[in-house]
Order: sequence, then structure tokens, then C-alpha cells
Amino acid sequence: MNEIIAAGPGLSAWLILAGVLFSVGVYGVLSRRNLIAILCSVELMANAVNINLVAFSRFHGDTLGQAFALFGIALTVAEVGVGLAIVMLVYRQRQGIDIDDLHDLLG
Amino acid sequence: MTFTGIESLTLPLAVLALLLMVFLADLLVPAPSDGRQSDAQRGLGALTCVGLVGVILLSWWMPQGGLAFGGAYVQDAFATYLQRVLLAAAALGALGSIDHVDRNFPSRQGEYYLMLLFSLLGMVVLAGARELVLIIVAFELMGIPLYVLAAMQKRAAGGVEGSLKLYLTGAVSSAVTLYGMSFIYGVTGTTNLTAIAARLSLGDDQGPLLVLGLLLSLAGMGFKIGVVPFHMWVPDTYQGSPTPFVAFLSVAPKAAGFGVLVRLFVEGLGAMRDTWWPIVLVLCVATMVVGNLFALSQRNVKRLLAWSGVAHIGLMLLAFGIATVQGIGVLIFYLTAYVFTNMGAFFIVDVVGQDGSDDLDAWQGLARRSPALGGAMLIFLLSLGGIPFVAGFWAKFLLFWAAWQAGMGLLVLLGALLAVLALFYYLKVARSMFIEGTDGPAPRVALPTALAITIALLGVIGIGVYPQPFVDAALAAAAGLLGG
Repeated sequence: MNEIIAAGPGLSAWLILAGVLFSVGVYGVLSRRNLIAILCSVELMANAVNINLVAFSRFHGDTLGQAFALFGIALTVAEVGVGLAIVMLVYRQRQGIDIDDLHDLLG
Repeated sequence: MTFTGIESLTLPLAVLALLLMVFLADLLVPAPSDGRQSDAQRGLGALTCVGLVGVILLSWWMPQGGLAFGGAYVQDAFATYLQRVLLAAAALGALGSIDHVDRNFPSRQGEYYLMLLFSLLGMVVLAGARELVLIIVAFELMGIPLYVLAAMQKRAAGGVEGSLKLYLTGAVSSAVTLYGMSFIYGVTGTTNLTAIAARLSLGDDQGPLLVLGLLLSLAGMGFKIGVVPFHMWVPDTYQGSPTPFVAFLSVAPKAAGFGVLVRLFVEGLGAMRDTWWPIVLVLCVATMVVGNLFALSQRNVKRLLAWSGVAHIGLMLLAFGIATVQGIGVLIFYLTAYVFTNMGAFFIVDVVGQDGSDDLDAWQGLARRSPALGGAMLIFLLSLGGIPFVAGFWAKFLLFWAAWQAGMGLLVLLGALLAVLALFYYLKVARSMFIEGTDGPAPRVALPTALAITIALLGVIGIGVYPQPFVDAALAAAAGLLGG
């Protein structure tokens, strides 16, 4: 822990950037009503993670974090692919992709 | 990386082989142009089910204790036990789905069973994953097919909405988990859980970043298994999705999720139990209380079972939090009992709801219309409620016993009180079946569904009458994990 802080502004700057990006993503997911905008926000969160991983990888001087980030990118793509398909289904059903239109289920 | 240890991957490879078989069979079967199913397509479900039974039998033949992928995957007793539970859940789920798939989306049979197997493959790998990257990959492999399966009824009003809710919580929770794991990797400099445990046992100061990583991972996993306050998707997704799939969704991903929790927090971050236990305790109490209270007022049986499922997750979280050999053993025994009980109950919900209504009113007089179905449902409800001598009783009893021995007397008291409360809503369904309503025609039960209900019933009664071998196996698996 201490050596991470002692590494100078390099690592902490990246971590703060990732933290801010992640928070923006979380805010977007919670506040946006448009499904595409929500998907974009999820993407933002995932990219914050990748910045984090690559920054740590650089800090440790290994490539493990970079490999981790590559896996993360591939997984996010797969996930967003399915997500867009589901959004398409929503659009076909209701001619709109506003999340407030979805209230068929109780609760 | 070499391919030594490939024999340790027997089980995941067997599931993969079965998956490819179903895929090829689906390609080779001529697709009927009129949107109706052919008999050969109908066989895909049977093929899946029989294949999975074969894989379960294989699990007694394969080498144990080996490592693969440089220690990223381990085929230890814990993994094997959990994999058998998962495979049994998938086989039962496939069997119970055959009739439902036939009725509702006959032209997409191949897709349904393929997605089921993809998800199962993710779960099977997850049970043995001991490395953060592998955990995340397997987690997604488990999750993504579930979104597709939940949206199978794409024209039904609630189907897409339920799937969307599952997807959004799933995608966000994956990102949160990944963010947490990036901190765990960043602080420890490794992604291997045994190396992380070794690193932590050196007594390094654990630092706020590691605690942050731990919290985020816990929150992300909590989303997936439906822990309060991350449970909002559970009732909606259950209500909107195909019922036999819900039977699978309500047990298998939970079992796999608890497997990861155990790997990550007991095997990897066990040295930090003092940090995570208070948080798990709060989540556990909140989950038990909220699940039971919301279940009380439900009129829709699917939603009622969804909330009761949330309450059960709370109890399992307690077993997980004890984190001793006894606690983990009880956790996986609980999961075993829960698989048979919950799946059986959901299959009967599917039979009763085939006319389109999952409302409690549709259940009136079921015991008079069909004594077999009514009796079976009563046994599943008693097992969910924890009445002697069915499977659920031993699960609850052993859990409370383990918690008592760990010095959690107050939690045992709370759990027992809530178990009494739970009887109210379980018996509400029973009252509707046995006391209310009039005579009428018995609901149609297809042969595969009847078979699935019977197997679940035999499991519930079998574990209830003679739990010893299951308890012993669960405790041995937990002891192997914790080196006790």
C-alpha cells in the first residue's frame, strides 16, 4: 500500500482518473432514462476498469494487468452486443427505448 | 503455459463436447419451414438431459485434485461437489424445459439448450476457478447466455422487460466486480488467489485500496446472487421469464455465485475476514428480513417464490459468513437441498401457469383437481419452509446449529423467527390448493415435466430421510478447501 502512494503522482493520477470515469458511469446508469445512454454509461465504467488495470500493470512492471484489461475489453464487447439485441427487442415492442415505458411487471 | 493437467479439465471439456454435439445436432436437423417443430428437434432437449447425466456419472471417474492452466483452475473436492450440484440442476432444468419449449418457442429449441449449456460451462469452470481473470471470464460466460434465455419469450409483454432488468443489473455488477478485482490485483500484484492468500498471510498492512477492492467485488457478486439491496431485478426477471428457465436461474447461478464468493473471500481473502464479516452480516440480515417481508404480500406465485428465494439467499449468506469448515459445508449442503426443492416448485408453477396465469387464484383447488401435483407442491413448500423431515429442514437445522456453534445466537433467533414468518406465505399457497376452490379438470402434465417433478421430489424426500451421505460429502469438500 505504502509503496503505491510512494510511486509518485503517476499511479495516483491514473487511479483518480479511473475513479472519476467510473463515477460518471455510475451516475449515468442511475440518471439516464434512454437505454442507449445507459449502455454507454456501462461502457464508461468498463473503460475506467481498464485504465485502472493498465496503470497497476505499469506500476508492477508486469504484463498481467494488460492481459487482464484485454480480457475485460473482449467481455464488455460480448456483453454490449447482447445488450443492444435486447434494446432492439424493446424498441420493436414499444417503438421507443425509454426505460420509463417499461412497467408491465408489478413492482 | 503447457497442457499438463489437461486431465483436470475433464468436466468442463465434457460439457463443452456435449455443447458442440447439441450445436451440430441442431444444425443437421432440418428446420421446418412452417415454424412448427419436428420430432428430431424435440429430441435436442432429451439429448441435453441424457448427456448431462452422463457428465455427472463421469465426475466419479475423473482424476481429482489436479491443477490446470498453471494453477488457475483446480479440480478439488469443493469444485467437484459444486459441479455435481450444477450439473444436476442443469439436467433437471433441461428435462423440465422440454414441454415448455415445445409449447412456447418450438422453432428455437436448439438455441434454448445451447444457451443453457453455455451458461452451465461458465458455472462449471467457475466452481474450480482460482484466478481473477478466469473468474471474470467464467462469470461472463455464465451470465451472458442467461440474458438471452430470459428474453426467449420475446413477444410476451413481460419477457423482454425481465431480461432487460437482468441484463442491466448484470452488466453493471460485472463492471463493479471487475473494478474491485482491479484493486485486488493492483495491491497484491497477482491474480492468483493462492498467491493473494500467501501475500496476505505475511501480515502486510491491508490498506484502504484493498478494502475498496474487497467491497466492490462483494457488491458486484451480491448483485448476481440477488442480495438486498441489490435484489430489485429478482422478482421482475422471475415473473417475465420462461418458468423452467426460472427454475434453473433461481438455483444454478446462485450456487456458482456462492462458489466464487467462497473462493474469493475464504480461500483468497480469508485473512481479511474481520473486514468483510461485518458487511456480510448486515447484508445477510437485510436480505433475510426484506425477502420474507415482501414475500408475505405477494399474490403472484412466481413473485412469491422469487422473494422467498431472496430470503433463502440471506440464510446461505449467513452460512458463507461463518467461513469455517462447518459453515462452508452447510452452505453447499443447503444449495443441494435448495436445487431440488426450488426447481420442483417452479416446475409445478409452470404446469399450473400454462394457461397463462401465475396468480394464486389459479391454484385454487389444485389438490382436488390433481392430488399428485398438490401433494408434491405441499412437500416442496414444506421443504422451503424447513419442516421435518424433508430436505429443507436439515439445511436450516444444520445452518442454525453451525451458527450457534460460531457464537451467533441472536442471528439464530432472528432466522428462526423469520422461518416461522415464512410458513405464513408458504402455507398461503397450500391453503389455496387444499381448502379453497372447487373441482375441475386436472392440469395437463407432459411426461418430461412429470419426470422432472418426480426426480426433484425424490431428491427432496431422499435428502430429508437420509441426509448423512450428502452432509458428509459437503463437509469433506469444505474441509478439503480449508485444509481442516
